[in-house]
Amino acid sequence: MRRRRRERILVYAAITVILAIALFPFWWMVNTSLKHQVDIFAGVTMYPHSPTLDNYRKLFDTYHFADYLRNSIIVVTVSVAFSLVLGTVAAYPLARYRLSYGLNQSALVVALLVRMLPVILLVIPLYIVLAKWSLLNTRLGLILIYTGLNTSFVIWMMQSFLAEIPRDIEEAAMVDGDSRLTALRRVVIPLAAPGLIATAIFSVIATYNDFLIALSLTSTPDAQTVPVGVSTLIGKIQIEYGPMAAAGVIGALPIVIFAIIVQRHFVRGLTLGAVK
Amino acid sequence: MAAVSLYPLYYGVRASFTRYLYGRDFGWTGLRNYRIVWDDSFYHSAMFTTLKYVVLTVTIETLLGLALALLVARELKFSGMIRVGLILPMTIAPVVVGVMWRLLYDSNVGIVNPLFQALGLQQPDVLAHNRSAFIAVVLVDIWEWTPLLFLIILAGLQSLPEEPLEAARVDGAGRIRVFFDHTLPLLRPTLLVAIVLRTIDAIGTFDQIYVLTKGGPGDATRVISIYAYNTAFLFTQYGYAAAMLVSLMVMVLLLMIVAVRMMRRAAA
Repeated sequence: MRRRRRERILVYAAITVILAIALFPFWWMVNTSLKHQVDIFAGVTMYPHSPTLDNYRKLFDTYHFADYLRNSIIVVTVSVAFSLVLGTVAAYPLARYRLSYGLNQSALVVALLVRMLPVILLVIPLYIVLAKWSLLNTRLGLILIYTGLNTSFVIWMMQSFLAEIPRDIEEAAMVDGDSRLTALRRVVIPLAAPGLIATAIFSVIATYNDFLIALSLTSTPDAQTVPVGVSTLIGKIQIEYGPMAAAGVIGALPIVIFAIIVQRHFVRGLTLGAVK
Repeated sequence: MAAVSLYPLYYGVRASFTRYLYGRDFGWTGLRNYRIVWDDSFYHSAMFTTLKYVVLTVTIETLLGLALALLVARELKFSGMIRVGLILPMTIAPVVVGVMWRLLYDSNVGIVNPLFQALGLQQPDVLAHNRSAFIAVVLVDIWEWTPLLFLIILAGLQSLPEEPLEAARVDGAGRIRVFFDHTLPLLRPTLLVAIVLRTIDAIGTFDQIYVLTKGGPGDATRVISIYAYNTAFLFTQYGYAAAMLVSLMVMVLLLMIVAVRMMRRAAA
């Protein structure tokens, strides 16, 4: 018994240390963002002695942060909404019918490949295509690209969620007089709702967090998103530490809140469904 | 769907055979770009840096993730909160991760220099020197992505069948024996999926390095994605960058085929 107890104490101690390592950088950023300019340079203090919101004010007054936030919200909402509808409609037949020529498998594999491809491989072709359509530096251009990328993710995730719903349920609804589409809307979608919500949240996180696509395809606050806005604060000559920290806090906050709400669905979403 | 996603890729491959400069196509050049890539010493060193980066980060992350999963895979109080705390680093934008660590590493406002000073050591100015800058970006990657390996491995551990492990314990095998003889072999498929997924992602690492060092000092942290980005968007050599990336894509695709096959087998 004594040995058991000593082991438990050691386990909790180890976990506490690891949690501290995982969370300290967050605290240091919040801490820096709440300090006055002089205090930031005045040496190490673990909390702001005279906290201020100056850095946040500066962000919105002089660094276009309202624009970045607006662009991010528009681009994320529209592209995720579109891709959820498109992706679910495409995932349904993949989960329900056996298409000829092994089309099911190849469609799913393409969907997965698109999602796994490192973004750097897509950026140059996307730049060329958007330049051709004169959609560089527009929110519409970003929306088109994110919709495409998210749709493949939604297809991949939703077909595995839909496949888990027993056929009998919707067949019963169809016997009762529903068409397949009504059965999908009335019976299947409500049952798949948890999966749909998890998929939606992951699409939101991935889109909101994207940097490289937005960085390469936009150039002014008319279309730049929050992560690009954050990076503009690291100037060539000097770094605005306070506003940079504040921008990081704003960039992280929505995602941290999301993460806490949906932690149960995390494994499946982040591992592309490899682990259930 | 396939058409929409493959259309840009077709453009990318086509661009790699052209002199595509300043956003304009100056005509077909055949394999010229590829010949330059073959001889480009910057490309070689960027590939080597990427290789070093990927091997180091993925190895350490797998070992730490496994250790962490073994530590947490038991009855714990606050297990939900512990899990959220542990995975928070990988959920936020990599750009923000870069900002956080820039604030820690920085010579003027950071905490690393004062820490070394307090220990009576020389102040390292981490991001200013080749070696320490490379170690610094590797550490950031480990901080950010160990949680992913941890999560996948934890889920794998929790879905292992109890009987063989229990039987081994009843037979009197010690904990370490049970782990190496039974747990690890059973965990192999999960581990492989996790490692391949993480490797593919690590090859494309860009955001944090861009924020922390922009590939510097010199070329110490210039991984392939940074080099390709600079070539295309700073020096506007789109065709040449495309050729560079096509060669990288072939490697990534090979890895992805392995990944997809393993994921299908794991799902079956």
